[in-house]
Parts: sequence; C-alpha cells; structure tokens
Amino acid sequence: MQPDVFEVLADPMRRRIVDALRGGERPVGDIVDRVDIHQSGVSRHLRILQEAGFVTMRPDGQRRLYSLRPGPFRELDAWVERYRNLWESRLDNLGAALERRRIARGTGSKETP
Amino acid sequence: MTKSTTGAARRERVTIERTYGDVSLEEVWDMWTTKDGIESWWGPDGFAVTVRTLDPRPGGTLEYAMTAVEPAQIQFLAKAGMPVTHSVRATYTEVTPPRRLAFTQIADFVPGVEPYEVATTVELHAAAQGVRLVLTIDRMHDAHWTEMAVKGWESELGKLAKVLAA
Repeated sequence: MQPDVFEVLADPMRRRIVDALRGGERPVGDIVDRVDIHQSGVSRHLRILQEAGFVTMRPDGQRRLYSLRPGPFRELDAWVERYRNLWESRLDNLGAALERRRIARGTGSKETP
Repeated sequence: MTKSTTGAARRERVTIERTYGDVSLEEVWDMWTTKDGIESWWGPDGFAVTVRTLDPRPGGTLEYAMTAVEPAQIQFLAKAGMPVTHSVRATYTEVTPPRRLAFTQIADFVPGVEPYEVATTVELHAAAQGVRLVLTIDRMHDAHWTEMAVKGWESELGKLAKVLAA
C-alpha cells in the first residue's frame, strides 16, 4: 500500500466524491451536481482518485463514466482490523496471565478448589 | 471476562474494553508497569517479550525485544527476510497509578506505509466483580488518519469494501 492512499482519502471533497459514486457508475456532470463544487475541481479530484486506484473511468460516447474500485478500500480496512486484532489478542493474554497469577496465589476463583 | 469493541461507534478512535474478574486495580496496574507483569502477557501469540528498559513516568520509555518463539512465526519472519527479534520502544505520556496510563509508539511494521505515531491510553475502573479496562488506540498524531478518523470514515471502509466486492 502506498502512503498516498491515506492522503488521498484524507481530503473531505474526495470523500464526498467517493460517497457520490457509492450508488454506482456516474458521469462527471452527475458528480458535480452532488458534491456542489466546480467541474474543474471535481475533475482534478477524480484524476487523483483514479491515480490512487480508488476510481476507474470508461468512455461512453461523449461521456466519461466513473465508478469505484474495491482494491484500496480493502487494503485500508484490512490494516485497521489487523491493528485492532493485535490488541484484542493481547488483552485476552492479559486475562489469562491474571488468571494464572490468581491460581498461583491460591486465592482462586470459584472454580478453583 | 466480558468483551466489547466499539471502533465504529466511537468515531475518532478505536476503543476496546475488557472486564477482568476477581482482581484489584493494583494487580492489573502492575501487569502494565512491571517487567514481570509485561513479560507475562504482552507478546502477541508466538512471540516472547523481554523488557530492557522500563521507566514508567511521563517522558520515560519502555523498550523491549519481541522474539518469535513458535515455528510458524519464525518461518514467517525468515521468509519475509526479517530478524527473529525486533526491538520496540514506547514513550510514556501519562502515568497515574493505578488508573490511567498513556504511551506513544512508532508503528513501523505496516508494509508500504511510512512509520507514524500511535497513542495508546489504558484506563482502569473498579467494577463490581473486578476491573474494567478501556484501551483506546488513537491515530490523532497522524494527519492523514486524523482527518479520516474524525469523519468516521474508518468504520465505513469495511462496509464499502464489502459492497464493492459483492
């Protein structure tokens, strides 16, 4: 994953464009209507999103249709989950370690005779 | 032990909660702030931790070596061309026994992602049957993540990936 994948989505306008594309493929004009900034701005953000792999474009006659691609989103999600999982597993280990200490002390829980 | 994770609901950060039964605040605090305590549980599965420096006061550091001890982890690291032992350092930012501990770490293990700072806060609360622990992982120090996290974007990523994959 490139560091700029994070930067690309840090921009609020690009997130709005991504939101506008969640319903499926759309021409630039539709996106402009939904995000309420000038077409040149939308085109610039679309180019950045496209370069980072978030968005793909296909020509349809005179129109350019944009749609989302799953790759970068999956990578970001996997990263967040991995970090959470590390701590989930660590805190389980802490519980087990506390239990071992309690048993070693002999002041045990109800299960311990 | 009860569990809950509220990463999606607490929008700006990831929060994990655990309740540990039949223990005191001091016992749990010691697990976080003594060499013996930390070494007994800190390592992820398949890794052992050896504490080298421990100075739990604001500005003080925790340095430890994380060593792969199980065949699966050793093989994984060898394949990735990484050493079996990895040094890790954390810097304490808040130490209030026996209730609140905060530290920052540089996360440099994510392939292809530049190192960035992660702040972790641990709060211990007396509960009816023991101690409730609230761990908060905070990426606020990283400008890119901050902007995304504040907007609650993170929790949306999973849903979006699923929708797109369908």
